[in-house]
Amino acid sequence: MTRRRFWQVFMMLCGFIIWAVQFTLIYGATSTTCALEVAETRLLGIGIVPAVIAAVTLAAFLCTAGVLTYALREHRRLQSGNAGVTDIFLSQAAILISAFSIAAIVWQGLPALILPACA
Amino acid sequence: MLAACSGVQSALNPAGGDSQHLYRLTVVMTVGGTLIFIGVTVLLLYAIYAPPERRAWLGTRRTIIYGGLAFPITTLSLLLPYGLIVMRDTDAPSPDALQIEVVGEQYWWRVRYPAEGGRPDFATANEVVLPVGRPVSFTLTAADVIHSFWIPNLGGKVDMIPGRANRLSFTAERTGVYRGVCAEFCGDQHARMAFDVIVLDPAEFDAWRAAQASGAQAPETPFLERGRTLFRTGGCGNCHAVRGTEADGQFGPDLTHVGSRRTIGAGQFPNNVGTLAGWIANTQHIKPGVRMPSYGMLSGEDLRAVAGYLESLK
Amino acid sequence: MNVPETQKSFGRDGSEFPNPLPRPKDELQKLKRAWEPPRGLSFITAVNNTYVGQWYVGTAFLFFVLAGILSLIMRAQLAAPESDLVSHSLYNQLFTMHGTVMMFLFAVPAVEAASVYLLPNMQAARDLPFPRLSAYAFWAYFVGGLVFFTTIFFGLAPNSGWFMYPPLSSLKYSPADNADWWLLGIGFIEISAIAGAIEIIVGVMKTRAVGMSLDKMPIYSWAMLVFAAMIIVGFPAIILGTLLLELERAFDWPFFIAERGGDPLLWQHLFWFFGHPEVYIIFIPATGMVSMIVPAMAQTPLVGYRFIVLALVATGFLSFGLWVHHMFATGLPKMSLSFFSAASTAVAVPSGIQVFAWIATIASGRMNLTTPSLFIIGFLFIFTLGGLTGVMVAMAPFDWQAHDTYFIVAHLHYVLIGGMVFPLFAAFYYWVPVASTRALSECVGRWVFGLMFVGVNVTFFPMHITGLIGMPRRVYTYPVGMGWDELNLISTVGAFMIAAGVALFIYDMIRNFRPTLDDNAGNVWNAGTLEWLPNSNYGTRTIPVVKSREPLWDQPGLADDVDAGRYYLPGTVTGGRETLVTSPFDARPQYILQVPGPGWQPFLAAVFTAAFFLLLTVKAVILSAICGVLALGFVIWWLWETDLGPIRPPADIGGGLTVPVYVTGSMNHSWWAMIALMVVCGMIFTCLVFSYLFLWLVNPASWPPSGTVMPGFLPGSTAGGLYVASAILVAVASRHLRGDDRRSPSSVPLLLAGAVVLLATGSTLDLWTHWQTALSPSAHAYGAAVYGIIAFQILFVGTSVIMGLYTIARWLAGKLDSVRRATFDNTMLFWYYTVGQGTAGLLVVYGFPKLVGGA
Repeated sequence: MTRRRFWQVFMMLCGFIIWAVQFTLIYGATSTTCALEVAETRLLGIGIVPAVIAAVTLAAFLCTAGVLTYALREHRRLQSGNAGVTDIFLSQAAILISAFSIAAIVWQGLPALILPACA
Repeated sequence: MLAACSGVQSALNPAGGDSQHLYRLTVVMTVGGTLIFIGVTVLLLYAIYAPPERRAWLGTRRTIIYGGLAFPITTLSLLLPYGLIVMRDTDAPSPDALQIEVVGEQYWWRVRYPAEGGRPDFATANEVVLPVGRPVSFTLTAADVIHSFWIPNLGGKVDMIPGRANRLSFTAERTGVYRGVCAEFCGDQHARMAFDVIVLDPAEFDAWRAAQASGAQAPETPFLERGRTLFRTGGCGNCHAVRGTEADGQFGPDLTHVGSRRTIGAGQFPNNVGTLAGWIANTQHIKPGVRMPSYGMLSGEDLRAVAGYLESLK
Repeated sequence: MNVPETQKSFGRDGSEFPNPLPRPKDELQKLKRAWEPPRGLSFITAVNNTYVGQWYVGTAFLFFVLAGILSLIMRAQLAAPESDLVSHSLYNQLFTMHGTVMMFLFAVPAVEAASVYLLPNMQAARDLPFPRLSAYAFWAYFVGGLVFFTTIFFGLAPNSGWFMYPPLSSLKYSPADNADWWLLGIGFIEISAIAGAIEIIVGVMKTRAVGMSLDKMPIYSWAMLVFAAMIIVGFPAIILGTLLLELERAFDWPFFIAERGGDPLLWQHLFWFFGHPEVYIIFIPATGMVSMIVPAMAQTPLVGYRFIVLALVATGFLSFGLWVHHMFATGLPKMSLSFFSAASTAVAVPSGIQVFAWIATIASGRMNLTTPSLFIIGFLFIFTLGGLTGVMVAMAPFDWQAHDTYFIVAHLHYVLIGGMVFPLFAAFYYWVPVASTRALSECVGRWVFGLMFVGVNVTFFPMHITGLIGMPRRVYTYPVGMGWDELNLISTVGAFMIAAGVALFIYDMIRNFRPTLDDNAGNVWNAGTLEWLPNSNYGTRTIPVVKSREPLWDQPGLADDVDAGRYYLPGTVTGGRETLVTSPFDARPQYILQVPGPGWQPFLAAVFTAAFFLLLTVKAVILSAICGVLALGFVIWWLWETDLGPIRPPADIGGGLTVPVYVTGSMNHSWWAMIALMVVCGMIFTCLVFSYLFLWLVNPASWPPSGTVMPGFLPGSTAGGLYVASAILVAVASRHLRGDDRRSPSSVPLLLAGAVVLLATGSTLDLWTHWQTALSPSAHAYGAAVYGIIAFQILFVGTSVIMGLYTIARWLAGKLDSVRRATFDNTMLFWYYTVGQGTAGLLVVYGFPKLVGGA
């Protein structure tokens, strides 16, 4: 597997990798703060749990949006040149996957707006 | 056998605010799901049977984009917040709630009402009595394996896990008799682990509470007196408590007011002298695997005396 | 390395094919001889995918029937309230075994088995890259599975539910061996599933037809790739879970005992981290089958290929964020539950994408209503309904009502029967002509479908209502007068209809299934993919060049040209079994893989592995140990015959293409397999560290418990230093073992021996240090977790030591040099992994308590 291919596959899966990192971080943070009973801590007037979830979700959203932009640009570049079918396929997959990941990432952060932290 | 009428253990017959919320969610999703299901089926049949030129519009990537991406994402973006709001609004703790502690044991329920505002605490079993209209908060745990506490008419279920104390809050809003059941497989007699839930007017509830907190009734006839003696000499008090007597065992259900309960055997039989006698003599036959041995060696007369004594403990 | 940069295109008329006609007379003869299956009693030593695949599918189907019979007994018991047909103790074994056998012995093996048979055919490979590994996986599963099943006849079957929740499955509440049968029996069948998954990953990535680049891969290959990746990530959790629970049962290490700092919920996390992806692990290959069958039946290419690939990958990822939706009622914070609610919602989208892609494909073509089509339509109907109830239970508040009731029983059977059994039956009717001289009967098939379709709906639809009106799951009986009687009776009638359908299917198989090697019924559906090329035990005569997703439709005359020997590798260049390895993305020819042939070793190794675990269950420790050593011996004997080295110079496979018959390094197939194995091991270790941290969160105030003597940093860092030093020695040995001149310097065994000593010393020092502090593994979950990490490391050090000694032995036998070094590479990779894991373990054990301020 050449470095270029590795990078292409990574970019293709990147949306879901970001989702997985977001998921792990927000679930881990919620569980840990609730188990250690430090959820009352406040950051800038917001409870620490919603604050962390919001921050992580925002970061994940921005990263994935960046990946999507990159994939779109890459796709346009490949189509104008005479790139191989595999390259085009991988870039199309990257567009689809990062676009769908954005929906998953937003849903993942939604509970912070509605639910109490540790009840 | 228990002559319960259907609907006493049903999520489709809500008797409280929380279960009403859950019921509405159920209806909304069932109706929505049915419509989607019909839509998909119609499209599928259309794709198979419609003439090629008429179905051509369906055979493109557009179908996937609208049907498989846009539609579910839109629908689910509406459903998810609704579900989360129902989640926030149900099982929400309330500061003035009536506290009740329930411990799941193989295969019965230990119930304790802690002292509250001068009213003393007391223990009972296999029966939960609630005042209508007042929030209740259960503290749930298990003594041996995992059980799950579920009263479908009043709220969702919550697991009872050894080493953890879980909470369940709801408000009953209709008086009546309901049935709760163990919903997590807990061993041999998981199928026979239920309990009665009785929702009373506040005044009736207070009266019930006062009665339960008092000590056991003394036997009124020599026959019942004989039953109490047999209860003592038979060693029943090693496992069962009858407050006000020397019986103070803690392994099994508190029997101080066993005669006042609707059912015996953890929701298995209506409570009367006959079923009590049958239970004492054939425990291991009726509910094999429970901790209580069968007392088949008691003579018929003795059995009736013990059963009569227990039945008199109103 | 001679790798063509661009694909040539071949005209029908001509001379431009890689190999000219006529072919040398004895070429086909030699190919046939190389792939000659063993005859007589030794046919069980066959390892070829055509043999193993069919045995595997057949065995899985046998377990489907057996577990189905168990469910009929249960349905008979539940037909009426307060029934006495079976006792509670038998019933509890029945439902435990039904779930366990269906999930572990039917569903996962069935889809894996089907791919052992189909994948090489579909990709025009001669065989899977590790045929002996598939044979080993099959026999281990066959022997272990059958013995496991027979426990039901002796009342020894597990009876704590297929989910085996402690404390019910702990020693205190399940003192008999029943639970151990589950833990050891299933635990080791998981290992066989992982072996299969590694094989599938390498098979999909490396052994495809020339030119079958990622965008032209059959969807089934994509599905199997995602499936296998999910197995190697998901199954480690259950393997660790069973290890911990068995450690608790056997040695009283309290991982799950609340009084001593354990937590029953830890098991649930581990179980469902495997258990939920498991559902998709079963479902994804089935969707892959559907995506192959639908285009063939509608006679049109699949609409939305990229969308389906997206859906498969999305499902693969998202399904790992769902596990707590089986734990919605465990009292976790609502916020935590809601994350899983959101992910469970998200995973509905990929399923929707696939359903609409199939509908679009059907609409764009013309669906022939054959038996496979009927099963596909039935699948879409049943699965859509199951998917919609799936969205319902994804909403945690609704699940609080539905959880552990018959609503869930209905939902999961709709999803699994709809999502897996119907596609599998479609696949039977669709692919039998590849394996048999006759197709199955269309007429009987319609009846099979009708009975099963009506039966499934009659059985399971009423259960939605039964559940909502209060009937819990896993009850051996229910009281009169709850309003459940009629609904249960209807369900029972439906169950027997399904059984009638399955019985009719068996009849059809007996009447029409005639397995064959090279005389199959042919392309009866006019399908477009490569498994319909004429084939034999050696697969296709030549490895074709494909230029589209449906080469048989788009490349006229392909079947004849392939069979005539016009494409690549028309014979055997080494004289033995071989297959062409292509590059993972663009499928350019890379090298010729020398495929091992029949042998007793995998069979015997599997039988003794099974015996090792089964005897351990009944506590026959000495016999078990003997079998374990024998199993290890056979594995080593089997490996000894592999890694043949470049037994001839690079060979011409046609079209002026010369490829080597041996490569090493990252291009080698066993390198890929080793990387996959390292992912498995890394996941087990990750789950172990997760368990450690989880138990810390349960006991934040006593981590370690007061009175524990923490060892200083010196022993820990010394052990770490020894580990790293051993890795350096291996790295130096690797440097010495370079060059094209086939050197085998004597420094290599010496360095390896040094590395063995250092690694073993480091591990021993670690154990000894903790033993010195009098830390007890059974007093508190802290000790159990620490010794868990140490014991796991000892297991890996032990394996590395054996591998090191084996590699030294290869050197001594003259089977290791600077070119022929695949064995060394594998040992090296595993060594680095062991060192990495050991160092991480030391950091956790010595560092974490200090970090959180304990002791």
